[in-house]
Amino acid sequence: MMYMKDYWKDHLKECLRNYFIIVTGINLAVFVIGMIFRPDQKLGYDAFLYPIIYGAITSIPGLLMVEKKEPTIKQAIFREIIGVILISAILLTTMFAGMKITGELIAICCGIVVSVICITVLVNVISWILDSKKAESLTNDLIAFQNKING
Amino acid sequence: MKNTDKPMDIEVKLIHPDENEYVKIGCHKIDERIDEITRFIKSRQGNLEGYTEGDMYSIPIADVYYIESVDDRTFLYLEKDTYESKKRLYELEKVTDSFHFIRISKSVVVNLMKVDSIRPALNGRFLCKLKNGEEVIISRKYVQGLKDKLKG
Repeated sequence: MMYMKDYWKDHLKECLRNYFIIVTGINLAVFVIGMIFRPDQKLGYDAFLYPIIYGAITSIPGLLMVEKKEPTIKQAIFREIIGVILISAILLTTMFAGMKITGELIAICCGIVVSVICITVLVNVISWILDSKKAESLTNDLIAFQNKING
Repeated sequence: MKNTDKPMDIEVKLIHPDENEYVKIGCHKIDERIDEITRFIKSRQGNLEGYTEGDMYSIPIADVYYIESVDDRTFLYLEKDTYESKKRLYELEKVTDSFHFIRISKSVVVNLMKVDSIRPALNGRFLCKLKNGEEVIISRKYVQGLKDKLKG
């Protein structure tokens, strides 16, 4: 029971951290896609709400993806791919459901999917670079630890 | 007269309490006699009960690479062999703590003396490459604990 409580606490913390990364990513994506497709568009104050709402919507798959066992690298990559597909599907449905399919709409949809992929790759590349430095430091500490024990 | 027929010189010296106790063997080659001495020393440093095919074995803790809990069963992984333990993971974690073992995920306790290197995995996790070539994952949650233990 206590273990499950700790697990959910950590899981929620992780989802919250990812939520803020996603909101930042959406802001960047809206800026880039907007500059490409509608550079003259004027937006109201409600535009500030959209990244927050879309961030919350796209956090749902991560919130529901519960890992009972520690995933292997392959499983983690597979999970990321599923996440990208789900997030893209949710975003496109929320934003454009019921709208008439035009060439411009398809181009915007492609832009959104590419943005989701770019944000996911970017987040993983940045954390990989940071983790590589941490791993190197841990390995050095490990060697020093083993040398100390072995005299 | 062969070298192995000659008695070994035995030297015992007192060391500072801060230093780790050690046994050093000077030999011309690692043969059956040296293996026997090594096994004896390991046996005096703590053992775990391990089961395989219904037989019970006494396994020196220092020989265990990592301990894993899989579906409510606990396994001891050695260089090549695997044994099942009747103890729970948290019990083995307590027993092996003084032997430089540390919890690295919900289901794995690893022997730090058997870790070769650490490299990044996805999602803030790390991968421990063991000296026998196997790899085990370090969960993000346990990274700080590992860092603290290595820094002493």
